[in-house]
Amino acid sequence: MRFLKNVFSQLHTFVLWALLSAIFWSWIFTLVTDVSPEKKISVYCYVPSISDVELSARLEEEKPEGIEMVKVRSFEYVMFNVDYIENGDIFIIPESMISEYDELLLDPDGGIKIYDCAEKRGSADSFIGYSDEDYYLFFGANSLHLEDESAKKVAELLIGLD
Amino acid sequence: MPDRVVELYSDADALKLKRKIKIWVFALLLAAAAALAVCSAFAATATTLTAEKAEVSAILTSTFSGWAIIYCAIFVVGSTRRELSHAATLRTSERERVEGKITFNGERLRIKKSISARGVTVETADGAKKFWVAESRAGILKEANASAVYISHGYVAAYEAAK
Repeated sequence: MRFLKNVFSQLHTFVLWALLSAIFWSWIFTLVTDVSPEKKISVYCYVPSISDVELSARLEEEKPEGIEMVKVRSFEYVMFNVDYIENGDIFIIPESMISEYDELLLDPDGGIKIYDCAEKRGSADSFIGYSDEDYYLFFGANSLHLEDESAKKVAELLIGLD
Repeated sequence: MPDRVVELYSDADALKLKRKIKIWVFALLLAAAAALAVCSAFAATATTLTAEKAEVSAILTSTFSGWAIIYCAIFVVGSTRRELSHAATLRTSERERVEGKITFNGERLRIKKSISARGVTVETADGAKKFWVAESRAGILKEANASAVYISHGYVAAYEAAK
């Protein structure tokens, strides 16, 4: 009883500590688990569901030379910071949304079909849940990894995944 | 046979309180360092596959250990510090001797950032007088069968017990 009384008398301190703790360690983990865009390939997927962590880890297993990290993100992530997506290296977008994001794409008319809706078959479909339309893979217009071809290598790897 | 005066806070008691504070501060610093080391280990060993779980583990470890440390710092170290300061005040301030029958009146006092105390009534020749005794010393006074008390700032600082 006395313990609970004590806790409630300092509830604001405990709540504040929990908040600070979450903010601090989230920041630390962002620092530790992120690298500069020059050493990272970012893949953005406009799909209903995705095992982003597992797919990132799978792509990192065969990452190109000079690349330390492959980060796969759902488009929902972009809600938190639009700047991220503008520098994306690879995009996976459904046919109906291509016109909406064409400014981000290197060649909006030159997408590589990655999911065939009619055949219900696609790349990396053990990681990505596609909806009922065709999906295409594009390279980002502002990608830093076009010249060194590391974006291409990751794209090839992704296309080759089951 | 004259009664002897017994201090509620002796030199040994003050030393005991000081030692208790030192031990607790050391233990809490150790606990904080251990929690920091565990959280840092989570961060250092995180991979793409384990980063999310490691982050949640670090946040939970930091939060719960922090709560325990904060609780002990406020309610153990803090209250012991206040008691030590209370003891020092009682031992150095002027006192008034009050003689009479001493009973506990059931009142309790708990002021924020101060010590907890229990109410004491002394039936003197001039009528009943109310004082306070620190909660941690109440048991000693209760069992002492005292005939008089020494009052400082409204608190019982010492008592007279039959030899």
